[in-house]
Amino acid sequence: MDSQAAEITTRSKSRIASELVRILGPGAVISAEDELVAYESDGLTGYRVKPLFVVLPSSTEDVSRVVALCNREKVPFVPRGAGTGLSGGALPSREGIVISLSKMNRILDVDIPNRVVVAEPGVVNISVTEAVSAEGFYYAPDPSSQIVCTIGGNVAENSGGVHCLKYGVTTNHVLGVEMVLPDGDIVTIGGPTPESFGYDLLSLVVGSEGLLGIVTKVFLRIIKKPQMVKTLLASFERIEDAGASVSAIISSGVIPAGMEIMDNLSINAVESTVGAGYPTDAGAILLVELDGPGAEVSVQVPAVSRILRENGAVEIKLAADESERQLFWKGRKSAFAAMGKISPGYYVQDGVIPRSSLARVLGEIGELSKRYGLRVANVFHAGDGNLHPLVLYDPGVEGESEKAEELSGEILRACVDAGGSITGEHGVGFDKKRFLPLMFNEQEIDTMNLVRCAFDEEGLCNPGKVFPTPRTCVEPGMHKHGSETSPAKEMGELF
Amino acid sequence: MSYIKELCRMVSGFHVPGSGDTDPGVPELRFSPKIILYPETVEEVSSVMGFASQSGIRVFPFAGASKLFLGNPVIAPVVALSLGRLRRMLFHEPSDMVSTVECGMEVREFQKAVGRENQLFPVDPPCLASGATVGGLVSTNLCGPMSTRYGTCRELILGAKAVRADGEVINLGGKVVKNVAGYDIPKLMTGSLGTLCVLVEATFRLYPHQPCSTTLVLGFHNHVSCSRAARAVLAADIVPTCFEILDERLSSEFEVASGAKRSILLRFDSFEEAVAEQIKQVRDITSEQTSSFVKMNDERSCKLWDSAREFPFSRKAAFSSKLALPITASIEFLSDIESNSALSGVEVRCLVRPARGVALVSVVAPDEEAVAASVFLQDLVDSLRGRIMFSGIRPELVGRVKAWGDFGESLTLMKGIKKRFDPADILHGEKIFPVG
Ligand SMILES: Cc1cc2nc3c(=O)[nH]c(=O)nc-3n(C[C@H](O)[C@H](O)[C@H](O)COP(=O)(O)OP(=O)(O)OC[C@H]3O[C@@H](n4cnc5c(N)ncnc54)[C@H](O)[C@@H]3O)c2cc1C
Repeated sequence: MDSQAAEITTRSKSRIASELVRILGPGAVISAEDELVAYESDGLTGYRVKPLFVVLPSSTEDVSRVVALCNREKVPFVPRGAGTGLSGGALPSREGIVISLSKMNRILDVDIPNRVVVAEPGVVNISVTEAVSAEGFYYAPDPSSQIVCTIGGNVAENSGGVHCLKYGVTTNHVLGVEMVLPDGDIVTIGGPTPESFGYDLLSLVVGSEGLLGIVTKVFLRIIKKPQMVKTLLASFERIEDAGASVSAIISSGVIPAGMEIMDNLSINAVESTVGAGYPTDAGAILLVELDGPGAEVSVQVPAVSRILRENGAVEIKLAADESERQLFWKGRKSAFAAMGKISPGYYVQDGVIPRSSLARVLGEIGELSKRYGLRVANVFHAGDGNLHPLVLYDPGVEGESEKAEELSGEILRACVDAGGSITGEHGVGFDKKRFLPLMFNEQEIDTMNLVRCAFDEEGLCNPGKVFPTPRTCVEPGMHKHGSETSPAKEMGELF
Repeated sequence: MSYIKELCRMVSGFHVPGSGDTDPGVPELRFSPKIILYPETVEEVSSVMGFASQSGIRVFPFAGASKLFLGNPVIAPVVALSLGRLRRMLFHEPSDMVSTVECGMEVREFQKAVGRENQLFPVDPPCLASGATVGGLVSTNLCGPMSTRYGTCRELILGAKAVRADGEVINLGGKVVKNVAGYDIPKLMTGSLGTLCVLVEATFRLYPHQPCSTTLVLGFHNHVSCSRAARAVLAADIVPTCFEILDERLSSEFEVASGAKRSILLRFDSFEEAVAEQIKQVRDITSEQTSSFVKMNDERSCKLWDSAREFPFSRKAAFSSKLALPITASIEFLSDIESNSALSGVEVRCLVRPARGVALVSVVAPDEEAVAASVFLQDLVDSLRGRIMFSGIRPELVGRVKAWGDFGESLTLMKGIKKRFDPADILHGEKIFPVG
């Protein structure tokens, strides 16, 4: 960069800084280098970028004013929740501003009769359930990170969790949003009613990975806690048998609330940290949670147990009480973090396959693991085919992290080859944008860009994510029109 | 060269109304196209759209033509593009409970096909018997009584193949039940009334068929006891597949609870023991309110659900409307309209689907009274923070009763999306965005 350009940058930087301070007050603008470090990455710490500033707005109006400023100054901006994302979605833009929603963390309304909670984006996922639990309700999407991650991040990633098999993911539980568009305008899409009309913009915003604007308020659907919940822990010698059980259970007409598989490596990692009571000599365990009306669950428990046995379960344990049930789930939810115990570094992958290919793809992952000489632990939402292979490596060994990344990419290829997806819940973000062409051709990615352009013509909102190559928004006009002859005139030739 | 001749060469079948060629059974379209095209492949659809967009020719895609009464009237398109010959089931993997079908396939046919594997495509839209197709279902996002448990096809669609207005064929979403790669454009297609793309294939999630099904009909002498019972049902530990409240007229016309001021219809689908237990619970929690309590699982229940599914679309009505309301407002909605003088002298029928916050209304009235009723409904919905759409509007009332209520702040974004997807508006944007 030449010195003149550097000087201009410095000058505009200080002008923007003082504008931000004027809008938000000095306490809500972070510019000190050592404080910016905390915002350099999200949960995927391999990528780091220092932003120009981080701002902490307290209201929708604050967000709107900051975004309008960014729009005027052509400064890119990146929304951020708790920073637990695993695809680099909240990775800052160089020369950009990070807009952290952490101060907008109030639950604005709890309306039990209408089954709606209105929350600001910085509200932590678990707080929604905590706010309605005493009334017998809960918020269904429950990512394993739910004690930290925010509703805004969940909406942006369309997050799932261990209970999404029966109840769906975030998109099935968001009724409406208020958002600040990339030009600073504030709009409300949907609202407190379960149904709506017109184009389904909400389905675009949920899962938009922070590229369409900043969500500032969310209308969430809460549901009644089931009358009965029973959790089974089945152990198998072979992971393939656990996989076959999953298909057999669903084919029998039972849709459990959740079905999770963990392989031996994961079981041992969890046992050495949490002590969830998993059998450490099992090849794999399958957790099956059944919920619903008592009479239904009472029929399902023996039916599912029978299917598990028929498919090779060597031991089946029914959680004796709520605390044992919680312990079973604690083990599952701690699985990623537990990898730290057995490996100095690990890479979390997120791919989806059709349930019917479970055994085949797990075999392929095993082969890849051997070929690369790296251990892969498998923890996954088996009911919906959402794999989370954890590639273990030692960052101290030269070239090993690159090898782990390559192996992770190979796993994604195997998922797509099996008819699946490169991501089931963690998003494309920065990390996986290079894999998007495995699933979609140029025209399909261009079509997604049409959506982005309808919201963000300037491309300032979380740029450099999702799309594998930069795409601009040319004025609409991909269609050429016949100019010299009108169809009406030509029609005369036929009649 | 003639545009029309060119278009005819691109497809396997066509019909030129008035030209004396054989009519392959064109449904009533409510407008008169110059030509009706019957492509048999996606490539043919793509060629038509590519050519139409280059030539600025307006195209109206349709298949069963069973729901053309939705949205604003279309302004005379030159070409009607029938998807009726794209009607194959392309993929069904029972162990994944996923299926891909071409959009011209009838919903009933699709349901029968997956039913052979003991699986369920749990959407029961109106017009099912009159040829509703999968494409029409997605583009209208209409649903029926089973939406209480399963939602609409928005909740079931996983992927879509579509032909863009410029003829490009795109495949979005996927064939797996969980997938967040890219924007969810298949969901954007639901309810778009075919104004963004021509949908040619859709992939859906399926559900297992349940072994036992029982219907309950509860009769009530007054609104207060009915709404008390409805609230109790909502709060109970039960999972009904269908849950509807009928007003007095419908209670009598559906022949379910004659003499009742209100009735509640419920259906439970599960294992036999679970169904029995849930019925018992309903009896216990509503016994003080009900005037009658009937259990059925025979022909009568099928007829009953057919009636509930087809409501409110009736040729006699001045208009029908669907209201999206908060749940509690939907329960009180019946008394809101009954007690209002604005609707006196008007024949109103109303069905409420409380768990979805939906009220369906049919109004039979002379023109002036019908317009007044539409204004009343619109105002009521605004005061309840809901949304409304009107359909099947009698031709004399078109313009005075508008198809859509207020889209609010979403309108500008919706227009932006339409402009990006179909800048020359060859796909009848007026169905959603009124002209002028
Ligand atoms: C241990 C662990 C376990 C996990 N388990 C799961 C799991 O089970 N299921 C699952 O789905 N994910 C899981 N994740 C991933 C992650 O927690 C989710 O993606 C979560 O939704 C991110 O929320 P966040 O608040 O941390 O968002 P961030 O990481 O801060 O941001 C995520 C994305 O959202 C955007 N964003 C944030 N707030 C807003 C807003 N208000 N408006 C618009 N865009 C916004 C950001 O720009 C970014 O693109 C896990 C992560 C960890 C570390």
